[in-house]
Amino acid sequence: MESIFFLIVAAVAVLSSILVVTCKNPINSALSLVMTFFCLATLYVTLDAPFMAVTQVMVYAGAIMVLIVFVIMLLNIRVEAVKRGSHAVFAGGAIGLFLLFQTVWFLGRGTLSGATGTMDRAQVVKVGHIELIGKALFTDFLLPFEITSILLLAAIVGAVILAKRKI
Amino acid sequence: METIAIPAINLAPIMPEIILSCIAMLLLLVNVFVPSESKGYLGVLSLVGLVATAASVVSGWGQPVAAFGGAVQLDNFAVFFKLIFICSAALAILISDKYVVREEINHGELYPLILFATVGMMLMACGMDLMVIFLGLEVLSISLYVLAGFNRGSLKSNEAGLKYFLLGAFSTGFLLYGMALTYGATGSTKIGNIAGFVATNPQVATNSLFVVGMLLIAVGFSFKTAAAPFHMWTPDVYEGAPTPITAFMSAGPKAAAFAAFIRVMIVAFPTLKHDWTDLLWILAVLTMTVGNIIALSQDNIKRMLAYSSIAHAGYALVGFTACNPEGVAGILFYMLSYTFMNIGAFAVIVLIGKKGEANGNVQDFAGLGQKRPLLAAILCVFLFSLAGIPPTAGFVGKFYLFSAAIKSGYIWLAIIGVLNSAASVYYYLRVMVYMYFKPSEEDFDWVGMTPAIAVCLLLCVATTLVLGVVPGTVLELAQKAVQF
Amino acid sequence: MLEYVWLIPLFPLIGVLINGLFGKKIKNEAVIGGIATLAVVGSFVVACGILFQLISMPGEERHFEKTIFTWIQSGTFKADIGFLVDPLSAVMLMVVTGVGSLIHLYSIGYMHGEEGFYRYFTYLNLFTFSMLLLVSGNNLLLMFVGWEGVGLCSYLLIGYYFHKKSAGDAGKKAFVMNRVGDFGFLLGLFTMWWFLGHNYNVWTINFRELASHADLIPAGGVATAIGLFFFLGATGKSAQIPLYTWLPDAMEGPTPVSALIHAATMVTAGVYMIGRMNFVYIKSPTALLVVACVGGATALFAATIGTAQNDIKRVLAYSTVSQLGYMFLAMGVGAFTAGIFHLMTHAFFKACLFLGSGSVIHAMHHALHHVHSDADPQDMRNMGGLRKKMPITFLTFLIATIAIAGIPGFAGFFSKDEILWQAFSNPLHGEVNIVLWAFGAVAALLTAFYMFRLVFMTFFGETKLSEKAYHHLHESPAVITIPLICLAILSVLGGYIGMPKLLGEVLGGMPNYFEHWLEPVFAYSNNYMAHSLPGAHGEHSPALEWGLMGVSVLIACCGIAFAYALYIVSPTIPEKFTSAFPALHRAVYKKWYVDEIYDFCFVNPCKALGGFLWKGFDVVVVDGIVNGVAGIVKGFSGILRYSQTGYVHNYAYGMVLGTVVIVAVYVFR
Repeated sequence: MESIFFLIVAAVAVLSSILVVTCKNPINSALSLVMTFFCLATLYVTLDAPFMAVTQVMVYAGAIMVLIVFVIMLLNIRVEAVKRGSHAVFAGGAIGLFLLFQTVWFLGRGTLSGATGTMDRAQVVKVGHIELIGKALFTDFLLPFEITSILLLAAIVGAVILAKRKI
Repeated sequence: METIAIPAINLAPIMPEIILSCIAMLLLLVNVFVPSESKGYLGVLSLVGLVATAASVVSGWGQPVAAFGGAVQLDNFAVFFKLIFICSAALAILISDKYVVREEINHGELYPLILFATVGMMLMACGMDLMVIFLGLEVLSISLYVLAGFNRGSLKSNEAGLKYFLLGAFSTGFLLYGMALTYGATGSTKIGNIAGFVATNPQVATNSLFVVGMLLIAVGFSFKTAAAPFHMWTPDVYEGAPTPITAFMSAGPKAAAFAAFIRVMIVAFPTLKHDWTDLLWILAVLTMTVGNIIALSQDNIKRMLAYSSIAHAGYALVGFTACNPEGVAGILFYMLSYTFMNIGAFAVIVLIGKKGEANGNVQDFAGLGQKRPLLAAILCVFLFSLAGIPPTAGFVGKFYLFSAAIKSGYIWLAIIGVLNSAASVYYYLRVMVYMYFKPSEEDFDWVGMTPAIAVCLLLCVATTLVLGVVPGTVLELAQKAVQF
Repeated sequence: MLEYVWLIPLFPLIGVLINGLFGKKIKNEAVIGGIATLAVVGSFVVACGILFQLISMPGEERHFEKTIFTWIQSGTFKADIGFLVDPLSAVMLMVVTGVGSLIHLYSIGYMHGEEGFYRYFTYLNLFTFSMLLLVSGNNLLLMFVGWEGVGLCSYLLIGYYFHKKSAGDAGKKAFVMNRVGDFGFLLGLFTMWWFLGHNYNVWTINFRELASHADLIPAGGVATAIGLFFFLGATGKSAQIPLYTWLPDAMEGPTPVSALIHAATMVTAGVYMIGRMNFVYIKSPTALLVVACVGGATALFAATIGTAQNDIKRVLAYSTVSQLGYMFLAMGVGAFTAGIFHLMTHAFFKACLFLGSGSVIHAMHHALHHVHSDADPQDMRNMGGLRKKMPITFLTFLIATIAIAGIPGFAGFFSKDEILWQAFSNPLHGEVNIVLWAFGAVAALLTAFYMFRLVFMTFFGETKLSEKAYHHLHESPAVITIPLICLAILSVLGGYIGMPKLLGEVLGGMPNYFEHWLEPVFAYSNNYMAHSLPGAHGEHSPALEWGLMGVSVLIACCGIAFAYALYIVSPTIPEKFTSAFPALHRAVYKKWYVDEIYDFCFVNPCKALGGFLWKGFDVVVVDGIVNGVAGIVKGFSGILRYSQTGYVHNYAYGMVLGTVVIVAVYVFR
């Protein structure tokens, strides 16, 4: 049952991500990307990470994609004509297929042999995903957490510098 | 509700980053109140901040100190590299003042961005957790994307920024995927723990997840160090970015990438050493060759120096392939000397350039030897050092790298390295030929020296020559830094 | 003061930097010359201080090493920048800085008005720096640096008048011959280092360390090889057979240069080197025999050539070669102290002679210029009767000539006599001793002859100049005559510190200070000679010594009398002699055709080979390969640059391709 569900969601995700790169209309691309994110969120739920799923939808689909759609509309990007069967598409497609083959091959041979931590399904259900993430964020991963604030500041400054009309 | 056991926080190891971030934020505030003609004072303030950071860094020499549960570790390796980053940032700031006024991009945000990039680099050098290294890389990269595109009025600068961003984000994807796979295989992102896990569970070493994770991490870092075939962004980005930023990019971030690359590979993947040294062998040869060969036919001097920096990354990779203490110490020494000689060369280019990045071709250097002999002589010192001619620092660095390679048994690699070095002499000396042997009607009267650039040139020339003649002390420091 | 021994070479180096970098801008001659002279005087002062400090130390402890830093450390090869102060180097330092200061002062006057004034002083200071490194360096490599440095400066200064082709050629000749010798020096250095290191694990080239391990060097074999290699270097630097022909040609340089480099200091480097390495030479009687024979032969050979020369400086040049032969003769019979003693006294009187000749040439040039004559101011046949016009020059010149002839009471007598005595009595080489003594004696006769010939032709007799020119002759200024006076005084008094015991007893118990001073340096060799060699230092009777001394004085007086007869009493005899034996005279005048022989045997074949290798091989094969390779690489470059398309998607594609290949290689292994 679970595997069928996984296959369906995964297929939709793959399909919509292919649509992202092949659609001629940029709005269609953006919407396909939103679809991909929803599928990813669903996969997160199946992996017992409800908070990640909600965050994925809120942040990616909600904030980022909305921004992208806004920009597309503001810039009034026209529909682009893609040449049929150009060399780039052909070569890219070939490489992509080879990459797929490789991925399947090595994933098939590999095992997730990592040490299992304290976060198993029972714990997530008992304590709550948010609390566990919060705890980890402020104990084990305190420093990376703080560094991201610097990262955001740098990004904001950069965005202003690049985009503000008159500085 | 359970209470969270807050871990003991030891801020000392990351005090340099804290200081520098605070200074950067202070600069952002001060920037609001500084009128646009006096933005130079922000540069002075940032230099002061860098000096304070350097003092804090130097105090960390000696015993390694870990913090945040092993997420960062301030050891000699990190101290050495942090000093390199601070030097590159300081030198870049010194030469930026004249350039930004000339190109009318005298925005105060330049300095905080450079400082943020430096913070990112310092985190990469001392990070012992894949997360920290990644975040440091991102801070660095974001700042650099913006800095590359800083000159909004120039088409080339916009192109540079955009290309860097697109390709940088692309490679970050590889890096992160590799980190994720490694985490999946070993259950921890702390590189010490990764190695520990593999030591206790040897079958993980052949787990393809683990191997591919390592390879993808290597690919991600190779992008940042501009190793072939991941080098293609370098010429366009270096050519388009503002020259002081190019100078900065060619020195600091490259060194940072090497720092993180070395630490991750040696600490986290010692069992796969045979695999990644083979990979590095090929990368080194490709990088050196591609960099040197394409540089031969470049006319624009910034582009030529971009290809030359690719080649130099290749030489450093030779030392990395050797993977013995001499090789890694050689890389440290090489990065230090490379910072000074490269930024020095870029300083001269800033002086020679005209508004709108005109006057950037090798032919525009014609006659400099007669009209401005001191400047030409200084540039010659840097060119000799880049070419690896004694008694300059470049020669000593290359000597140590290649002798480390020979010590490890990579004779052919050293031979290829030396041949490449010989080929590179052509395009460096071509500039000298133009300077001294081609006549020109130019008077070079627009070439005005500012105190800041004079200080920068003096420092760079002095370091290049001193490191070339008496490298002993710095080499010893580098060797001490390699014991981690 | 011993701690500051590094100041000694530093002062001239500073002079080089100041005059070299800024000399062109400082137009004031007094400043440039003053800086250069003061630098050397400064070194002299420090050297004096060191000498006094050494004197105050007890005999065995008179050595001091100051290491500045380690220059090269490569595996087992270690070379420092360090200085060794011991009695031998103290003597050399005093000679170099003392005579050097006087010559610098002299040069200010002599080179007045020359174009490139600053260049001259830069080179002269550079030479002083190199020479000081040579004599004070504490290891063979540093000595070699100084060795090469003086060779370079010799080239620069000989070719100082580079507009004249002959000067440029002379400089090149000097440099090339020196190089041949230097090859020998290096071979000796490495043989020494390798032998001790490989066999006894003593890897060092430091002098004191080598000396302390002298017992490890076996007699014969290796010691001979090392000794002969180093001696090859000495023949080049100190102008002995076969590498002496550059020295007479080196007279193309300014006269003070000839005085400093080719009389007092550089050419003595070979003698000093043998003195330093005495513990090696003493192990090889063969090498010592070669040194002595070459020295003796050169002394005689050069003296014969000197009798027929007409250029005043040429005579002095051959005299220098001859006197150097004496020094090597002394070293070769194991009389190291005597050799160094003669080095010192020779520096005094030869420098005085050269400077005096410079004064003469200067005056002659001035006078001839005044009457618009093209005559050669250096040709003695144009001189005569100068003593009335240039009294100080004449007097100092005469004193120095008496000294070189070996008349008792003057410096040259003590040193030359000591050498002849040691050559005769030292049983190191058995019967060959007498032959060596005979060579030395005949050479002494000839020396006295041609030196006084020079004096008589130049200063006495009827002047060959025109009335007007003669009228314009005048004494040189003080800056030239003061050094002459100083050196003349030294030529008289300098010998008394080395008075042989025999004479000293007569004069109220004056010991041989010089021998006592140098004893610690040569103690090992003297001990070795006394104990290990057969028939060493047997009893010698004072009567024999007195007798030989008398013979030397007699020889000197004969030479002077002969010269007097030929050039004062009946000046027509020389012409009759030369017309009676034209072939002999031509041979001697043409320096026994040695230069022509060298040209035929070495120079022309080399040129032919060089020409062939250039046109046939270099241009066709080597250039072809190099240019071909460069062309191919450039071609590749032109092709590869198209991989950089500028399109981001191409770049990304390249990256992905790279990643895929990398992963594939590993995963599918």
